[in-house]
Amino acid sequence: MRFRRDRWAMASLVFIGLLVILAFAAPLIATISGHGPNELFRDMTDDFGLPKGPNGSFWFGADGSGRDVLVRIAYGARVSLIVGVVATGVAVLIGVTLGLIAGYRGGVIDTLISRTADIVLSLPLLLFAIGIVTACGSSREGCFGGTVQPGLTLVIIVIALFSWPYVAKIVRGAVLSLREREFVEASRSVGAGDLTIMFREILPNLVSVIIVYASLLVPQNILFEAYLSFLGLGVPDSTPSWGRMISDASDIFDVAWWLMLFPGIFLLLTVLAFNLLGDGLRDALDPKADR
Amino acid sequence: MRPRKKGTWALLGALVLAGSLGLAACGGDDSGDSDTDGGGDTAAAKGGIYRVGTTDFGFNGGFDPSGEYLGWAWGLYSNLLTRQLTGYRHTEGAAGSEVLPDLAEAIPEATDGGTTWTFKIKKGVKFAPPVNREVTSKDIAYAFERIGTGSVVAQYGFYYNDIVGMAEFKDGKAKTIAGITTPDDSTIVFKTTKPVGDFPFRLAMPATGPFPKEVAGCFTKAGEYGRYLIASGPYMIKGSDALDITSCKTMKPISGFNPTKQLSLVRNPNYDAATDSTERREALPDGFEFIINTNDKDIFDKIEAGEYEDSVDAVPPDVARRYSGDDALKDRLKGNQDDRTNYIYMNLAEAPFDDVNVRKAVNWIMDKDALRKAWGGPFYGEIATHIAPATLYPGSTALDGYDPYATENSAGDLAKAQEAMKASAYDTDKDGVCDADACKDVLFMNRSIDPYVKMTPIIRDALGKIGITVKVRELPTGPAYESSGVIANRIQAGSNAGWGKDYPDASTFMVLFDGRNILPTGNSGYALVGLTAAQAKEFKIDYPKGGVPSVDADIDKCSEEVGNARSDCWAALDKKLMEEVVPWVPYLHVNNTTLLGPAVTKWDYDQFSGEAAYAHVAVDPSKQK
Repeated sequence: MRFRRDRWAMASLVFIGLLVILAFAAPLIATISGHGPNELFRDMTDDFGLPKGPNGSFWFGADGSGRDVLVRIAYGARVSLIVGVVATGVAVLIGVTLGLIAGYRGGVIDTLISRTADIVLSLPLLLFAIGIVTACGSSREGCFGGTVQPGLTLVIIVIALFSWPYVAKIVRGAVLSLREREFVEASRSVGAGDLTIMFREILPNLVSVIIVYASLLVPQNILFEAYLSFLGLGVPDSTPSWGRMISDASDIFDVAWWLMLFPGIFLLLTVLAFNLLGDGLRDALDPKADR
Repeated sequence: MRPRKKGTWALLGALVLAGSLGLAACGGDDSGDSDTDGGGDTAAAKGGIYRVGTTDFGFNGGFDPSGEYLGWAWGLYSNLLTRQLTGYRHTEGAAGSEVLPDLAEAIPEATDGGTTWTFKIKKGVKFAPPVNREVTSKDIAYAFERIGTGSVVAQYGFYYNDIVGMAEFKDGKAKTIAGITTPDDSTIVFKTTKPVGDFPFRLAMPATGPFPKEVAGCFTKAGEYGRYLIASGPYMIKGSDALDITSCKTMKPISGFNPTKQLSLVRNPNYDAATDSTERREALPDGFEFIINTNDKDIFDKIEAGEYEDSVDAVPPDVARRYSGDDALKDRLKGNQDDRTNYIYMNLAEAPFDDVNVRKAVNWIMDKDALRKAWGGPFYGEIATHIAPATLYPGSTALDGYDPYATENSAGDLAKAQEAMKASAYDTDKDGVCDADACKDVLFMNRSIDPYVKMTPIIRDALGKIGITVKVRELPTGPAYESSGVIANRIQAGSNAGWGKDYPDASTFMVLFDGRNILPTGNSGYALVGLTAAQAKEFKIDYPKGGVPSVDADIDKCSEEVGNARSDCWAALDKKLMEEVVPWVPYLHVNNTTLLGPAVTKWDYDQFSGEAAYAHVAVDPSKQK
């Protein structure tokens, strides 16, 4: 199989596997080191409140609040993976459904869905995200009658909201060409309903496109979470997040390099791994790609 | 009423003394020689340009003295640009908090039972070019007309509401303010509706400064006049002499002030040092440049290299650490008491903070030392143990060593906190840990910037120990303040706040606990001390069954006191707030921190503005880069 022969893709898969293990094992690391992710160690900051660097007990050093950076990176992997996978999943679900309907039904429905997608894509994404998170964060009730509260869920919703149009557009394009093909005609002639045709006949042909696209969307969404958290708009402060760690480091990185370096490396490698994996999958699944 | 406010400390008891000092200063007619502070400074001489970097001017009133409410701007006016009836020495500590006559020949005794103040204005004080005429009492009277003109938006105009006729003027029912009269060009008389013991302090605030109506009269919209400011002090905005004042239409903004880039000041040729004293203003540099540089790191690199002399921004902890550890550099690092209190507020109208036992428990558990470390440690301030800094209680010893929630190393005490919590109905099983639903997911407001974000884990950790879990909302400074100021948002507690004096009197802190000041939006007293059932109904929030404590009567009583009795009265109220009302956890009296460049030969701290005393700085141009 082509994928197996792609060394970069395989290496990426291994790295992602290790990351998943790290995320799952985060409590174990906390137990072994004896440092909880939110535990504050007074001795790890000096008289100026500046953190102390790596030592035998704190391998990656401490942050400005005296918390163990290694333990927080392990917990941060959870946030990155959850956001990357779940937000992408939601976006794919919405995007595929709408893309299928738009492409298959055409006409007014297509116009409606396509224009909506265009509008969403032209929204200033970061500004909009800042707006939502600020609006929902300023009162006790949150917004929309208390259904939306800042936190992981809101981050996932915001990210999914902005990434489904990419999927929808690609799916719609593919469906447009597929729906005129003979096997669709055949199926229609034996009396199959629209839903059956869309989901039983057309969708299976799109699986490889969707997988490839989804795998490229994951790193994008991991980065987006990091941006939001960097701006203080992401997950709550008690949940370690790489983006927030990098943000906290930005003021003092020249005297506390470990604060920026370690979360930065993990973020970089994770995004790189998912990108390489996506490339590998595309090469393997797309018969037209030549290597 | 915003992040950085102004003020100084001083006392009414010092008024008599201040008056006589002022007279002495007038008699001594020194022409502005250096080295009066005897600090052993080397060769502080005239000349050179004093350059200051800042990430943002931060003006909240367009630099129009009528409305501007930023401490640093107040410092610029009173040190360099405008002369009010009264003023300060622009120095550190108690000496810098005494109110002195400036434009006035002396500070008079109030007559008519403390309700009439008659000021004589010095002769020979002239406005800068292009106005070029003598400052008269009518220019002061006009300042008050601006304060009473709604469109000008005089943000602290409430300090002058006690002047007879101010209300009628504001409502448009009178063309002039009945309580302000100018019998001749050098006399102005104020009448107040009741004795206002701290009136001379209020006359040192820049909104009361002289405004030449021929220029300022053209600019009656909020902040407009800031770009046309006509000086009466030793400096003026560069290019103001080029202002064409033949009519309102011919005036173009003065070239030396670009609100997004820089503010340049040059000597005011009409300033006569004989009308001033070097005790108040030495005016040594030939000019000042205030430069916006959005890169904070670069500002401090430039100071280090000698490209700037000073900054308005706080010194970053890593820079402070490096300088304080180096004997050669140590002297260039300054930390000065800023008469500010940073505090965690608790909303008295919201469970679980409607129970004083919970509020006491929070005071006991909080690790104030860790909070101070988040700010950068001891260099950044004293740990606060009461509401207003002790310097605002001159003459009173009531708060010496006062710390009703003293714990070892100020790190919090779990046993004491649990003891307090046990007395609360929210701790149903009396184990010292809150177990009621009210203690879960408490909405806690904070800012999303350093060092505030560094406090979040400390506060979360401390409150968790007594069973209070928080849902922290972190917003940028402006939105966080706005959100806390909207009562309907029902923010339960927060650490986004800090308060500085407006002038050296504790009343400028106690306004935060006056129930009559509570506003549905734009509110400043986030703890809602003194909230009434009627107000709660109006603001559409629930009123706690046990009610909300009020200190309105104490505030009214202390406001009429003078001298040491006034200090003692306010100090007693401070104690009552800490022990019976408990609206806050005060944790830090923040320092103003400064790093000086190698070319600075003389520097002082202005206790009034809480920033550099620009009236007393000097540079050595040969060391500038």
